[in-house]
Amino acid sequence: MLKMTHVSKIYRTDTVETHALREFSLTVDEGEFVSVTGPSGSGKTTFLNIAGLLEELSGGTYELDGRDISSLTDSERSKVRNEKIGFIFQSFNLIPELNIFDNVDVPLRYRGFKAPERQRRIERGLELVGLASRMKHYPAQLSGGQQQRVAIARALAGEPRFLLADEPTGNLDTEMAVSVLDLLDEINAGGTTIIMVTHELSLAKRARRNIFVRDGRVSDRPPEIRLAASAGQV
Amino acid sequence: MELGPIWRSLTRNKAGSVLIALQIAVTLAIMVNAIAIMQERAEQMGRPSGTDEANIFTLSSTAFVPDTNIQSLIEEDLKLIRSQPGVVEAIATNSFPLRQGGSARGFQLEPGAGKETLTGAVYYTDEHAIEAFGTHLVDGANFAPNQVVWGGQNGDEWPANIIITESFAKTLFPDTAESAIGKTVFVDDTRPVQIIGIIDRLQAPWRNWGEIENTVIVPLRQEGQQQWYLVRTEPGAQDRIMPEVEELLAQSNKNRIIQSVRTMQEVRDRSYLSDNAMIKMLGFIVTLLILITGLGIVGLASFNVSRRTRQIGIRRALGATRAQVINYFRIENLLISGLGIAVGAVLAIALNLFLVNAFSLTPMSWYVIPLAMLAMWVVGQIAVIGPARRASRISPAIATRSG
Repeated sequence: MLKMTHVSKIYRTDTVETHALREFSLTVDEGEFVSVTGPSGSGKTTFLNIAGLLEELSGGTYELDGRDISSLTDSERSKVRNEKIGFIFQSFNLIPELNIFDNVDVPLRYRGFKAPERQRRIERGLELVGLASRMKHYPAQLSGGQQQRVAIARALAGEPRFLLADEPTGNLDTEMAVSVLDLLDEINAGGTTIIMVTHELSLAKRARRNIFVRDGRVSDRPPEIRLAASAGQV
Repeated sequence: MELGPIWRSLTRNKAGSVLIALQIAVTLAIMVNAIAIMQERAEQMGRPSGTDEANIFTLSSTAFVPDTNIQSLIEEDLKLIRSQPGVVEAIATNSFPLRQGGSARGFQLEPGAGKETLTGAVYYTDEHAIEAFGTHLVDGANFAPNQVVWGGQNGDEWPANIIITESFAKTLFPDTAESAIGKTVFVDDTRPVQIIGIIDRLQAPWRNWGEIENTVIVPLRQEGQQQWYLVRTEPGAQDRIMPEVEELLAQSNKNRIIQSVRTMQEVRDRSYLSDNAMIKMLGFIVTLLILITGLGIVGLASFNVSRRTRQIGIRRALGATRAQVINYFRIENLLISGLGIAVGAVLAIALNLFLVNAFSLTPMSWYVIPLAMLAMWVVGQIAVIGPARRASRISPAIATRSG
């Protein structure tokens, strides 16, 4: 499904060169629920940006569904994002000027679906997240948890095979966070591959597999576990 | 097409869009009416005077010695001018088309005071006039030399015959298909004159006169101290002959002043100076308005791009291609412009109706509004393309930045 081999990402300014990812290799199989954790600045978001085709990689190879992503044009990358990847962001990223219906509609319009098909998908998506009755509401009229549910409905409306979640519960209280994670479990159980980036180990445990990132590389264990091991407590 | 969501989104943030739409509306209304005025002026300027303008020049001779024999001075001057190689014809006249000064008389179909009078501009000249002006006789005959009389400038003397323009003939006899040749009209209430010839066209001296095509050639030489000479030359000879004639006349009689030596083109330019200036000024204002409106659209679109940087990044992350982002802004502009253009069209018609009623302006041509609407739409689309392209270059990665 997703295969990154020796991927690197370097941000350059006139004077500074920052290696955000180094020799980053990872394979995620179809249907997996993988969490990616690591401390701030470890490269989690850069990994997510590259996995979601939001940024181009500087080196290495990235294959999505067996297709080499690095050779795609900007339009092709947009098409892959639209058709294969669903995004859930920490700050929900709903468009404040659009109502809930129109927000979920955004990626479907880019996909070129006809109106009846879009309506069917929007209604189904909002029903799945329990917000079918709020279609005409605007984001500002919803709670944080409800907004994130709308974002999930938007991510799922296009029936992507691959869901990327960036700190999906970062702006939610515990109760809402649990409900969102329950929803992600449900979605994963339906066959959708999920990669969730989070800095909270407790949330990462909800995933079937945990990946730890440190200094732009995949690390075999989380920092806390390694620290505990060196103290002879594990 | 994202018409629905874009429209709904616009209605949530109306202020800037409404202001730009209003600006477009006002610009369109002013532009349309300015174009209508420019068009009217340009049409006026483009009307043919009925003369061979390219080969005619005029000059004025003013005798300053009180007892000068004007009759003999005119005859000698004309003889001298006509003898110059390259001169086709020359006349003495009280005025000529586009001079902005001249005479007009009332003509009536029945004698007697209080009868309906139709006004025609009159050129007091002689049997050489048709050839000198370069106009064409379309019916009847030219004056015979013995039909030309001499008279003072008080208008007491009148010859028995006149030649009129086709336009004036139709004005005098609108209900008959018969030729006006041989018909009698009356000047000064009771004095009969017979129409012996009809020329195709010869404008009156005043460019803004409503009856500019109603002109009469009267075979009468006026014996005033000041005379206008109108000289028609062979093609290409004018530049050579003009200074020669000026010099010859100045030398032939030193008791007069030769002045205002001008080609007909110069006469035309002077006559339409204010119209020309008006066209340029309105053109400048229209250009400026379009530029300001265009900049307003650029400003609003740029502001929207800055304000929606994150939103654009989100759209890109959700699969919008660069072309789709550009299209978004183009459609948004189309809606704002469309609103402004629709309101502007109504305003333009209202303003034109007002101008037509208040200032007797010619109603604008039917195609001016659609053309102006198209122009404003094009301006809007051009203005938005820069900001839209900038928006399309916003990285989708912005969606994952906290904010």
